[in-house]
Amino acid sequence: MNEMSAIGPSRAFKSALGAGLLLASLAIAVGSLPADSKPKAPADPRPTQPAVVFQLLDAQSSPAVFSRANSTRDALGFPTGVRRTGRRVKDSFQQAEFDEVDELDAKGDLVSLTQFEPSGRLRVAVRLDQSPHPATRVDGESASQAAQRGVAAAGLLVGGPRHVDSDVATDGWTVRWERTQNGVSVRGDETRVQVRPDGSIQSLARIEHQLAAEPTRRLDSDQAKRLVTNQAHQWFEASGSSYTIQKMDVEWVAPNDTFGSGQSADPQQAYRLAWVANVKPSGPAADYAWLVTVYIDAGDGSLLGGDIVE
Amino acid sequence: MKRAQLLLVSALIAASTLGSTAPGAFAAQGQVRSNSDGFAYRCLGYTDTYPQQLYTLAVSQMTKLGYAVTDASLGSAFTRSAFLTTVGKDYAVYVHSHGDNYWAASGYPNVDSGFLQDPGTTRCNSSSTDVVRSSSIKAATYGGAYTLVIMSTCSLGADSTTMPGAFQIEKTKLSPEKEFYLSYADHVYDSSMLRFEQAFWSYINSGNPNYTLWGAFTYANSIGGYPIPDAQDPFLPNWWGSSIYNGHPL
Repeated sequence: MNEMSAIGPSRAFKSALGAGLLLASLAIAVGSLPADSKPKAPADPRPTQPAVVFQLLDAQSSPAVFSRANSTRDALGFPTGVRRTGRRVKDSFQQAEFDEVDELDAKGDLVSLTQFEPSGRLRVAVRLDQSPHPATRVDGESASQAAQRGVAAAGLLVGGPRHVDSDVATDGWTVRWERTQNGVSVRGDETRVQVRPDGSIQSLARIEHQLAAEPTRRLDSDQAKRLVTNQAHQWFEASGSSYTIQKMDVEWVAPNDTFGSGQSADPQQAYRLAWVANVKPSGPAADYAWLVTVYIDAGDGSLLGGDIVE
Repeated sequence: MKRAQLLLVSALIAASTLGSTAPGAFAAQGQVRSNSDGFAYRCLGYTDTYPQQLYTLAVSQMTKLGYAVTDASLGSAFTRSAFLTTVGKDYAVYVHSHGDNYWAASGYPNVDSGFLQDPGTTRCNSSSTDVVRSSSIKAATYGGAYTLVIMSTCSLGADSTTMPGAFQIEKTKLSPEKEFYLSYADHVYDSSMLRFEQAFWSYINSGNPNYTLWGAFTYANSIGGYPIPDAQDPFLPNWWGSSIYNGHPL
């Protein structure tokens, strides 16, 4: 069955529905206009849009960027395109600025891209050609070894806890090394490698944030738990729900305004040391909130923000 | 029954009359819905602002991709009835809410996936009254084709989900049709959804017509930096559909 015959009837039906609704809307709109009213310009329903703006780079003016991209591409075994383009990107979606080099095939399709921080540090490298689907995929240990080789070839050092998870999107594996500082996890910071089912590297990314100074005195876990308990009690009392505190650890976190505590959500701000508690609702709230995670400043006990799993 | 037949005949007459309309005469429509009252102060003890941020992002970016976002609601206008009565004419759908793979009416092991409608301003969500089930959506979509469906919820990207089928999207990654379904397989922090979707939209709407939705997904999945609730819940966005579709309306 070709594409047109597969979707034709339903498209026609939707066009009819759309036309009917359009006519109905017009009729309602015309019918409701007062005789003396002047047409008004409709308010723009679109919110302010984030944008990606860029300035083109070329190999002559930015040799270091292209050289780094070539080295990374080759280290990870990515395919080589027939041409390359480079650009300095300001991405207000991700609130990030980076240099990007794209490898393009003869049709102009992207086969891989590499992004670097303005400092030259690798942000992400990802191949975008189609992945083969072998009859059997490599096992987790083989994927982990492939990831380790890729990281080393790209000139990166990794340490900290390693996690190997099956990836449903690629049918391959995600291998992550959590970043730690003096044994304390930095929340979300990691070196992340995705491995294709055939054992080749799909992508490599490194996320690393600046850390603030450690507080001179650190709350102990009992003090922190009391603060979390007080906060959770306020939150869940109103809905007649209860809760349990599942886990509490010290981590470096990005302060945020999740709970309206007035913390800035500036992605460039330094991470702070916090007690991080997972609060599991029970009762009515469990129908719509699976988990609430709370950050309590490890030094002064203030609420630094948190997160929610709806 | 007779009334249903009459409605069907009327619809077919309208379709045969208007089906010959020049292509592009009507912009492909999209809808964006986000449950915010279920995550407001009254229910959580604080106001979760992620539903607003994800909604704003989806409305602006689905529009930029070329869809006419004619049905968009944040909060109490996002009801089961509003969704089901408008979804039939859409090509693109975005929902942010609590999602899960609920047991079907026929019971275990059959699944009938769903998400929670907005509960309105006087009560909180309940899974016994607020679920919009995939079986209801399937009935409301009349077998129609959908090009882009994003379920910004937990669990509706899991292997067991029935939600893609509600939009006639097969759970394959080799679809020859221009269709793409995106969701998350397990429990996901809202901050991770926002980070992922920001990267997804930034890629697909960066102006290169050769970019694909699969490429946007792969890029967003690659950048990392996604905290996870616990080791049993790794960050697992998932997709089904075509790997070569650029997401623009047909």
